[in-house]
Amino acid sequence: MRFLSFLITLLTGAVLVYGTIDMPAYGDPDSPASRHVSPRYIEKTEEETGTPNMVTSVLADYRGYDTMGETTVIFTAGISCIFLLRRRKK
Amino acid sequence: MEFVIAKYNYWIYIILMMIGFYAMIAKTNLVKKVIGMNIFQTAIILFYVSTAYKLGGATLPILTDAQAHGHEAVEVARVINPLPHVLMLTAIVVMVATLGVALAILIHIYRRYKTLNEDEILKVLK
Amino acid sequence: MILEQFPFLVHSSPVLIVVVPLMFALMTPVIGLVRRDWTFPWMVLALILATLFSVTALQDVMANGVIHYRMGSWAPPWGIEYVIDHLNGLMLVLVSGTSLLVAVYGKKSVEQELPGREVYFRCIFLLQVTGFLGIVVTGDAFNLYVFLEIASIAGYALIAAGEDGAAFASFRYVIMGTVGACFYLLSVGYLYIVTGSLNMADLARLLPPLYGSKVVLTAFAFFMVGIAVKMALFPLHLWLPDAYTKAPSAVSALVAPLMTKVSIYVMIRIMFTVFQPSFSIEFLPVTQIMLVAGIIAIFAGALMALAQKDFKRMLCYIVVAEVGYMVGGVGLANTVALRGTVLHIANDVVMTAGLFAVAGIIAYKMREHNLSDFKDLFKRMPFTMAAFVVIALSIIGVPPTGGFFSKWYLIQGALEAGSWLFVVALLSSSLINIILFFRIFEIGYGFRAGHGHHGEEAEEIAAIREAPLSMLLPLIIAAAAIVILGFYNQALMGNIIQYAVPVL
Repeated sequence: MRFLSFLITLLTGAVLVYGTIDMPAYGDPDSPASRHVSPRYIEKTEEETGTPNMVTSVLADYRGYDTMGETTVIFTAGISCIFLLRRRKK
Repeated sequence: MEFVIAKYNYWIYIILMMIGFYAMIAKTNLVKKVIGMNIFQTAIILFYVSTAYKLGGATLPILTDAQAHGHEAVEVARVINPLPHVLMLTAIVVMVATLGVALAILIHIYRRYKTLNEDEILKVLK
Repeated sequence: MILEQFPFLVHSSPVLIVVVPLMFALMTPVIGLVRRDWTFPWMVLALILATLFSVTALQDVMANGVIHYRMGSWAPPWGIEYVIDHLNGLMLVLVSGTSLLVAVYGKKSVEQELPGREVYFRCIFLLQVTGFLGIVVTGDAFNLYVFLEIASIAGYALIAAGEDGAAFASFRYVIMGTVGACFYLLSVGYLYIVTGSLNMADLARLLPPLYGSKVVLTAFAFFMVGIAVKMALFPLHLWLPDAYTKAPSAVSALVAPLMTKVSIYVMIRIMFTVFQPSFSIEFLPVTQIMLVAGIIAIFAGALMALAQKDFKRMLCYIVVAEVGYMVGGVGLANTVALRGTVLHIANDVVMTAGLFAVAGIIAYKMREHNLSDFKDLFKRMPFTMAAFVVIALSIIGVPPTGGFFSKWYLIQGALEAGSWLFVVALLSSSLINIILFFRIFEIGYGFRAGHGHHGEEAEEIAAIREAPLSMLLPLIIAAAAIVILGFYNQALMGNIIQYAVPVL
């Protein structure tokens, strides 16, 4: 069983490394990720959202819906812990 | 060789990921599985964040005073990519929530079986 | 229908479908503090509204074409977008309708199995439905991950509250489910690294020149493995039997029909919208692999179901076989089979919900859910068993129930693709289903002695009468729905499903 798990882990790692062959190099400023969507976040953050902090403007304005989902996840986890662990008074 | 050096960040995180993954599937102590899950998810988060970096002394994604008041233009290549950081803020929260629920289930299991070893629990369940 | 009076509501219906259950879920513990009994109508109201908005959205799509809704009015790919097309719309109506039925059904069951915790149960129930609806309606890959985790975490908690052994089963589900979700996150990350975008439509535009890239191939591989874990495709189904058997009855009735089918929807969405169909069919032999995996899943699920003494566990293996039908149907890679798969998703949601509802009624009356508990039930619970017979006939594939028509389309697709093995698999599993269910009918009519209940238990069982109305009515509606789906399958196919899948 342990040997099988080790084999699966090696296989997964090998596939992941195979995937990195075509990836852009570390810190490449010309990578697709740096050229496509994020330049607008960087350039227009003050003008469109009024926040100098770009991470905040994306988190709370451009992709605010994801933040709502994230708070829901925390709420779900909290209610789940109460649901599972609360001892009822006999 | 240049290929390894140019992308060493990905390799480090893949090794970390696989350590966590192995712990998740191969260990029999339930707490070790949960720790493995945590390592696995943390490695994924680091993997994403490392793609945001830009070489050449790029700085934090916050506008300086001069840039905010429009005196100075923002150069995209001098500021790191903010999007992976944002995504990973959400992913960290999700990771913590999953960890919390997993630990709550573990407490529930411990109260019932008084052990946290997978083999022993399976023996009781049979 | 009713909502056309308020154009604002019709325009916002995509987002209201998700937001209304969410807001109601957040308010549920507060209402529970005031009066515990008010949480039940509150929950039902949330689900009625969600169903109403889903139906409105589907009608809007059928009349006006695909709906695009931008969150915060930011254009994609800089903002998040909700896209509803025919496939989405159908799934939304299925998910919200089934949740409504199970919510009404679950009232008595939860009061018996989880005393004192109903308020939190209903809150987490609504959150899980929010998660499912959010997965189905979104057009952004990372947003899908967030809602997938909402649904998953709610599922882990609900399943862990079941009978003895449920917590361990849920823990196994946590580990395997997290692996699946993290593989999905990894694949989104890989795709982001080479395209820079997270929006599904944008990815569909940017990916075709990159199909040869190793990053994209790895991303697709991880995506398929991750989603296969979530959909319980054999051999990654190991979490499913224990988790769904030991979970509380209302939870099984909610999660079993929906979680796997929503994952199949995600697979169809990524395979045919984000990646071009030609990627999975010609470029990589993905569909051939899926066909083989589907056939193996059908045989494995059907054979293991034969060996079970526990009714709910038998149903879980039937679910595994049904997933095999759908994966195999996609793997056949022609238009007829794809349409059959989508029709089968619709049928299967209703059938599985009905079957687990029957299991829940038996558990409510007899505190356990073995096959032998069916003894003499035809006399004492005629309505429940009548509905059970109708749904069983649909699983076997007898006309005019819906199950026959979706199997018919799948067989046609298999013949067109020349896959005789798939036809054999479908027919053998129908045969095995006949054996499974007629065995239960025999016990139910008292022909075969189940293991006898003696003394006090026998008296208790003799006193069993029909199930309470709140549990019976959703079951009867499910049975009626499966017959209606059978009669109207042509209308469904022509108006909705035909546009939901690409022509291959």
